[in-house]
Amino acid sequence: MIAPPTLAEPSQFSLVERLIFIGLAATSIFLFIRRLQPILRRILESKKDPDFHLAPVGRRVWDLVWEVMCQAKVIRQRPLPGLAHAFVFWGFCAFALVTLNHCAVGLDVGFLDSTGWFGRFYSYLAAVFAIACAAGITGLFVRRFVVRPRWLGEPLSWESGLIALLIFLLMVTYLGAFAVSEESATARELWWVHTLTLLMFLPIIPHTKHLHLVLSPATIFLSRSGFSRIPPLVGDEDFGLVAGKDLTQIVSLQAYSCVECGRCTEHCPAANTGKLLNPKEIVLGLRAYLNEFGPASSEPLLGKYNAQEAAFQCTTCGACEFQCPVGIEHLPILIGLRRGAVNTGTWEDDHGAKLFLALERGSNALGISASERDKFIQKQEFPIFDGTQEYCLWLGCMGGYDPKGREIVADFARVMKYLGTSFGVLRKEKCTGDPVRRLGNDLAFQQLAESNLETVTQAKVKKIVSICPHCVRTIQEDWKEYGPPPAVEHHSEFLARHLSKLPRTESSETIAYHDPCYLGRYRDVYDEPRAVVRASGQLVEAPRSGERSFCCGAGGGLAFLGEEKGERVSHVRADELAQTGASVVGTACPFCNTMFRDAFASKGAGGPQLLDIAQLTARSLPVSPTNPAN
Amino acid sequence: MKIVVAIKQVPERDAHMQIDASGRWIEEADLQWALNESDAYALEEALQLKEKHGGEVIVLSAGPERVSSTIREALAKGADRAIYVDTEDAASSDALGVAQLLAEAIKPENPDLVLTGLQSDDLGYGQTGVVLAELLGHPHSSLILHVEKTDAGITVKRELEEGWFQSIEMPLPAVLSIQSGGNKLRYATLMGIKKAKTKELRRVAAAELGQPPKPAATLERIVLPQKRKSTQILAGSPKEAAAALVEKLKFEARVL
Amino acid sequence: MSGVWVVLEERGGRVGRISWEAAAAGRRLGAAVGQPVNAVVPGAKTEALAAEAAGKGFAKVVRLEHSLLETYTADAFTYALEQFVRKEEPGYVVFPHTYQVRDYAPALAARLGQVLIGDVVAIADGPAFVRQLMQGRLNGEYRHSGSGTCFVSVQSGAFRADADAAGNATVETLAPTIEASQIRTKPGTPFRGSAQTVDLGSAQLIVSVGRGIKEAENLPLVQELASALGAELAASRPICDNGWLPIERQVGSSGQTVAPKLYLAVGISGAIQHLVGMKGSQCVVAINKDPDAPIFEVANYGIVGDLFEVVPAVTEAVKTAKT
Repeated sequence: MIAPPTLAEPSQFSLVERLIFIGLAATSIFLFIRRLQPILRRILESKKDPDFHLAPVGRRVWDLVWEVMCQAKVIRQRPLPGLAHAFVFWGFCAFALVTLNHCAVGLDVGFLDSTGWFGRFYSYLAAVFAIACAAGITGLFVRRFVVRPRWLGEPLSWESGLIALLIFLLMVTYLGAFAVSEESATARELWWVHTLTLLMFLPIIPHTKHLHLVLSPATIFLSRSGFSRIPPLVGDEDFGLVAGKDLTQIVSLQAYSCVECGRCTEHCPAANTGKLLNPKEIVLGLRAYLNEFGPASSEPLLGKYNAQEAAFQCTTCGACEFQCPVGIEHLPILIGLRRGAVNTGTWEDDHGAKLFLALERGSNALGISASERDKFIQKQEFPIFDGTQEYCLWLGCMGGYDPKGREIVADFARVMKYLGTSFGVLRKEKCTGDPVRRLGNDLAFQQLAESNLETVTQAKVKKIVSICPHCVRTIQEDWKEYGPPPAVEHHSEFLARHLSKLPRTESSETIAYHDPCYLGRYRDVYDEPRAVVRASGQLVEAPRSGERSFCCGAGGGLAFLGEEKGERVSHVRADELAQTGASVVGTACPFCNTMFRDAFASKGAGGPQLLDIAQLTARSLPVSPTNPAN
Repeated sequence: MKIVVAIKQVPERDAHMQIDASGRWIEEADLQWALNESDAYALEEALQLKEKHGGEVIVLSAGPERVSSTIREALAKGADRAIYVDTEDAASSDALGVAQLLAEAIKPENPDLVLTGLQSDDLGYGQTGVVLAELLGHPHSSLILHVEKTDAGITVKRELEEGWFQSIEMPLPAVLSIQSGGNKLRYATLMGIKKAKTKELRRVAAAELGQPPKPAATLERIVLPQKRKSTQILAGSPKEAAAALVEKLKFEARVL
Repeated sequence: MSGVWVVLEERGGRVGRISWEAAAAGRRLGAAVGQPVNAVVPGAKTEALAAEAAGKGFAKVVRLEHSLLETYTADAFTYALEQFVRKEEPGYVVFPHTYQVRDYAPALAARLGQVLIGDVVAIADGPAFVRQLMQGRLNGEYRHSGSGTCFVSVQSGAFRADADAAGNATVETLAPTIEASQIRTKPGTPFRGSAQTVDLGSAQLIVSVGRGIKEAENLPLVQELASALGAELAASRPICDNGWLPIERQVGSSGQTVAPKLYLAVGISGAIQHLVGMKGSQCVVAINKDPDAPIFEVANYGIVGDLFEVVPAVTEAVKTAKT
């Protein structure tokens, strides 16, 4: 019987060999630390995050286990390369013990006996991982250098090639050690090649994207709580991200953690339609800034490395932040840069200024007289909220002024009446502040939030329902900075809850549902609107849907800014929805609705019909608005 | 250049307006207030002149306590300091009465230039600038879109009717009424508001500026204009509708 | 203090239309207070103007003539009218509310310890002068208090000029004393706004066209209407998207914001992106096939019909009205 091969571990190193090993190891570790140190210093010397709390630690640990150890995000967003990466990662984890022992062997204090049961078991286990890791890194190499998806960016990084080669060499030299005997010269040579590879690998880490090996677990563990969380400004000198001195430790940590995988860019509506903005480059721009100017600098952040134009092309759809496998929060960064520019008055844009001035002297983002809203309320005979009704129906700017938005509100009100749900509208409702919040105008946002909070408090509003996911998000999350907001829900949630009491249409009509960013990624509401759609026809999914939905182009205040450069985001998405072949495009956001309406109109007749889920529901109601049961 | 900009606080455009019990004014309790639009352009012109030629921009406003929030807004946009004339009855004074208060407040400052907006969005007299010039003894011009500083004084671009314009040269000191739309307005910023907190806001009681004259014109009564249907649909054949439309445009809307 | 005096303003060598409207207001006032209605024509060569006025039903026409009144300056006009008022001591002086009057009449009134009751749209019993407040949302009734001359200016179009005014008034000439050194401003020759670039933002009249026009070949139809009105041509986004008109002519949230006196929307349904760009218009006219088009919500006047029939008819009617 032939004994299975064991891992060859050379022994009896000469003093010279040991000294060379110790010298090289020390050099390698020294170089690693010397390169890592300034990075850590820049991170630690950044401004403290004013609102950072470690609690709840449970969530942070879970994120660490799920996203780092299980590689969940890495795999979910890109299954094949994700798995390849996971194999490399898990290979590294399995190798931690092997590598320690490997080095110990060089000093003749190896602790894993490759003939003992545990050593044998572990070396075999590691071998399995080594094969997976080698296969994984080969796959990633082929992807980067042969397939070359454009998200990875140009030019090709020779460092990535070198790293891949080193990892491959590490695995091969490890596996090779099973094929030789411990006494052979080859065993010793393999040991040395493995060691040298390892020692070369170490100093390369800090100044390449492989820094994420060290930093990204920390980044994920220390992320801010909540999606697209905009931190409060603190003190009289804080206007957002103006200069290096405004970068917080978390932002700096994130800037150094970027692994340059380009998932953010791949999903970015701006980057996909020929805009300047590339979220990956924004993060790398901050890193380059930190490297050159440091975290105490007064050099503007929007300058040498990042362009103001790019920052203001973001629709805040959040695809980047949602996809990022290393926990980078792009939105607080992008919005932070905008805050820096707007709060100090350095952003000069005719349309932006028009929007801000409209909200300085009026109540809505459209700059239309509030009396137009009054007329609409009168015409629809909406009751005024007086504290006795269950719901405050929040019209929003679109619902109050936009002809199409008004139709949606009117239909939703019909459904509420049918259900016998009492509701009222506010006479003095103002813009929730969504567009100015996302554009970084903290002064305008504060005024709107405070004024609205006062209005809803005085009116004793307990529950708000709105047809606009932007309003819902802003009321629920952003108003918090200035006081506790009332409970708020989106009409899709309301409708889904009441579906059983609403008439169903058995229709074969196909309806492609478009997930609004502010309902899906921002609020995690995917199923409710779909339930509403299914009650009205046959649901069709767009190629990009759910949490990967592609933006309509309106978010982040961009609906109010000027003409886009390059292709229009709304047209790209509208084409995608039309190509599903569905006869109806179902929306759940008045901004998406108006963007698609424009896009379809410019394509001429024959496109799909565009209906909000409230309109889908209202279609099935009897003409008389009251439920015979009520 | 030392520039005084006289600004006025007016009800926000969107404000719900109701005639008060006296029938002579509007219910102020629930109103929200804003800087008069053409005054915002006057302020912008002043700020741009200061940015080009140096100097100082002083905002001046008369009214009750609430006016100070509008003054703060002007300071936030870049004015250097402010004079606030504290008076409860600015609304019941006529154009001459208000201009006298303002003129008295301006005199000690000896500015090179006094700017006002063309017309207020509430009372709409459109006279304050012209009357100020008369009271201060300075030359003036109204409906000004642009101001250029020259060696001898200033050259201004004045709007005439029907799309015509005119350049006018005049010496300093001078008074100008600024028409809306000549510049792009700047928006208020958080930084501006924070800086404004430290700027000087000098309060002057109206009584310190002398006795106001007896009003020469008084507002006796406020009424709601007769409401016409919001949209008039002109029926008939294309020819009839067209004729009706031109008639309406000429005599009802008075835009032809 | 007696007599209603109407100040007539010259326009292109004749008395301007709005001055005749002021004359009509003056006559109504004269009838109410029982005072004769006269006219005063300030200028440098007023003979023809005075002759024109003499046949329009005034009791007396005064030529307020001085060579320094040839080109308008606030200083010269204020001095001239001041001397006229001090001499005649009128009960009422009625101006047309023109840009020129707005520039000097308040100073004139102030110099005489009065205020101008400006931009009057109606005269009620009393006499009470009605003027618009809060940008037309309310009307205010004003009364002249105390003694002295009452100065009033009337809004263009508020009073209809009397077509049948006739008469044969005596014409007198008054030569005020004005020194060249008293005129502190130096006005230049009037010029047109730059014609090369489209400046919709400052356009007074705009004809805007939307998708209802169907084909680029149909645009001349609307262009003709714009020419007849002397209006700028504008468009909604789809028209500019198709390249039928340059992007500078696009009105709406991603284009220009306009605030003309007249905005005539042809074949525009009125999406919010468009409404935002033209909501500041003083008077909106909509021509659209669809009676439910949202543009009718914001329009002052609407014609529901086929634009290919309605637009040529409106063009004709405008041309007729202008001749």
